[in-house]
Amino acid sequence: MLKIFQRLWQVNWAEQWQYRANLLMYLLYWLVSPIIYLAVWTSIANAKGDVNGFTANDFITYYMTLLIVDQITSNIVIHTFGYKIQDGSLSGELIRPIHPMLTNALVNNIAFKALTIMGLIPVWIVLFFLFKPDFSHVALNGILVAAPVMILGFFISYLLSAAITSLAFWTTRVYSIHEFYFALILLFSGQFVPLTLMPKLVQDIAQYLPFQLFIYFPIQVILGKLSAAQITQGYVMAGVWLVLALVLFNWIWRNGVKRYSAVGA
Amino acid sequence: MSLTIKVEKISKTYQVPEREGGFGAAFRSFFKRKYKDVKAVQEVSFEIAQGEIVGFLGPNGAGKTTTLKMLSGLLHPTGGTAKVLGFTPWELKQEYLRSMTLVMGQRNRLSWDIPAADSFLLNQAIYRIPDEQYKQTYKELDELLELEPLMKKPVRNLSLGERMKCEIAVGLLHRPKVLFLDEPTIGLDITGQARIREFLREYNKRTGATILLTSHYMADVTALCERIIIIHHGQLKYDGGINDLSRRIAPFKLIGVLLAGSNSHDLSQYGTPVQNEEDAAKHYIQVKAEDVTKVTSRMLSDLPIHDITIADPPIEDVIERAFNE
Amino acid sequence: MHTFKLLSAFFKVNVQMALAYRADTIVNILLNIMWLGWELLSLSIIFSNTTTLGGWGLGELIALLGVFRLVNTMMIALIWPNTEKFNQSIRDGSMDYTILQPVNSLFLVTFSRITVWRIWDLALAIILIVVGVNMTGDSTTPLQILTFILLAISGTVVIYSLWIVLISLTFWFTKFDNNVTILHALLDSGRYPVTVYPAWLRIIVTFVIPIAVATTIPLQALRGDLNIQQIATFFMVAVVSFIVASQVWKRGLKQYSGASS
Repeated sequence: MLKIFQRLWQVNWAEQWQYRANLLMYLLYWLVSPIIYLAVWTSIANAKGDVNGFTANDFITYYMTLLIVDQITSNIVIHTFGYKIQDGSLSGELIRPIHPMLTNALVNNIAFKALTIMGLIPVWIVLFFLFKPDFSHVALNGILVAAPVMILGFFISYLLSAAITSLAFWTTRVYSIHEFYFALILLFSGQFVPLTLMPKLVQDIAQYLPFQLFIYFPIQVILGKLSAAQITQGYVMAGVWLVLALVLFNWIWRNGVKRYSAVGA
Repeated sequence: MSLTIKVEKISKTYQVPEREGGFGAAFRSFFKRKYKDVKAVQEVSFEIAQGEIVGFLGPNGAGKTTTLKMLSGLLHPTGGTAKVLGFTPWELKQEYLRSMTLVMGQRNRLSWDIPAADSFLLNQAIYRIPDEQYKQTYKELDELLELEPLMKKPVRNLSLGERMKCEIAVGLLHRPKVLFLDEPTIGLDITGQARIREFLREYNKRTGATILLTSHYMADVTALCERIIIIHHGQLKYDGGINDLSRRIAPFKLIGVLLAGSNSHDLSQYGTPVQNEEDAAKHYIQVKAEDVTKVTSRMLSDLPIHDITIADPPIEDVIERAFNE
Repeated sequence: MHTFKLLSAFFKVNVQMALAYRADTIVNILLNIMWLGWELLSLSIIFSNTTTLGGWGLGELIALLGVFRLVNTMMIALIWPNTEKFNQSIRDGSMDYTILQPVNSLFLVTFSRITVWRIWDLALAIILIVVGVNMTGDSTTPLQILTFILLAISGTVVIYSLWIVLISLTFWFTKFDNNVTILHALLDSGRYPVTVYPAWLRIIVTFVIPIAVATTIPLQALRGDLNIQQIATFFMVAVVSFIVASQVWKRGLKQYSGASS
């Protein structure tokens, strides 16, 4: 099994490297929104002194951390896999003795991620000098504690997106469904602004959703803003959601493949 | 008769970046690009009169599509001149574009998701065809191609043959005087090909349009064209009638004999033995045209012959031979 | 005139295409409403924490959102679908047909695809502008409205010219599928007043990809904040950028047909 992943990695890495110019463009695209929000909120904080306890520097460190966390926990499975179900090229992968979504597609995402993070590093350093965040209160163990939950966050995010992508077995409108899902993430993950600044109702609902595990929670852990109890609670949530996501994906996928083979490509 | 197409020593040379394999070469090419000259078309000249149907033959990469693209105006030549209907094609003057058409068998022009009828109306607007003339032209095309049942279906629901009919029809709505057709029958079945050929013949008769077509299928060429131009390695190899071609390039005849008794006869002393999959019972040999009478009489006296035929070699073989010169 | 006939022919064809995918069109409209809801929600979150942003109040920001959607719609309805068609036509060679048609190729490339259902978005945008301006309590003169329209069109022309240059680059660099991603990426910056951004970002969204400028300046004209020189200058910028873009396009076509000078 390990050998298979090794080979998949080689192939996918080489493939992603070929498209590196495109990747840089995507990276740019990803970066712009957080930078815009950073500018908006720091200008408010600079004018008022602070916003509900958030100083300008709090915002800057939040978004600068977000740039990295988002790259680690996000996925692109809808773009790399959606069309395969729709145009029938999935058939080739289904007859191979490995699970299409949990092997090739997964490694593809990770190779993409590795390359974009490589591209992100120099850009992040430039932004560091432009925005001058003060990370003095960030400790190494914050980053270490956050690392596992970010990996968990990626897998939850991947499985949920894969579940939605698998709806393509039933409908052609899967991209629109995913867009709606993406809007939910935007609302409940803390991507627009730290969750504590969102309306109370949003914060309450967010507690029951996994989306803050993608962005808000890891950032707060890294910045050392959570108590041990809160961190533990977050980890428990992550564990629960991982299981839920796995079950959900598996159920949709199995039924989808059944339908796909019954109906024909 | 006026000259519709006049081509003089036209050439097209591409500069292709050249690079050996390996990391060192890749690194070096980052700093200094090496280019190779590819002579796609070399000093080709010919003239075509109005109303002619001319076939362009040649293997892949011979330069025939490149020549066609220069004549339609898509490519600028690197040397030589060409005039079509008095215009220099690559200047892309609007008047020129309105009097010619290019139909490429492997590329679609019609919108995939909407009925052909709507693409037709769009073209009417683009070519500024007045309503009366449009209706008239459509009626004629419908008569020849049986378009009406195809018009309301989205193009992606049409079969390849039906789609090709519509692609050709949409290219003719503006009644062009010159038709450039690049592989118009590719991928079609025998009936489909025959129908397109019939149509082109009829269209040429009715409108006197000049047709220049490229094809891989010999049947297209033998059925439609009295004149063929062979291009190979970018050079003009032959320009003339089909019958003259076989006489000039391959002055051979094919002698087929059906022998009595056992089949183990070695005929190589009479001529070059040739395989014929279609007729395994007969033995075929290739003999120079001037030797036919001599060889035939020898064979008739030497061998127990049940049946003998003397024929021209198939056109495919003739052109094969022409390409290998 | 023929141009008008051609435009309406394109419009008809695109309506047909939208009707062929009726359900998709409805879903798209719903998603569009959802995003509008999000934009208004994010504005209200911002303004529950402050009274001004970059020197502008909530009413002005709503009006700015309207101008943004106005310029954005004119782009989205044309730029995204036509970029896709353009990239496709270079890949499969159908660009050849576009070149051979007796109509200006730039016109064909710009209008052959139109996302027709976005028309209602224009109406929505105008409503936002009217509501926003009302909230500020300022009054507007007909002259201000006229200069607003002039500069909104100018802003669209500037971005359109940038788009033409970006897709023309594909004639030289063939593996350039992502030609307009950078345009798409920086688009969001037009939602907020330019004054919010740090100096270096402000320069980028003003001079390099002038999106914020395309939205902020027309709104300033509506409020009567600009003098005649500024209005004339911005208008000239639009004219010049269009001329430059058409020249780049012509060169690109020549490159495509192997007529390197």
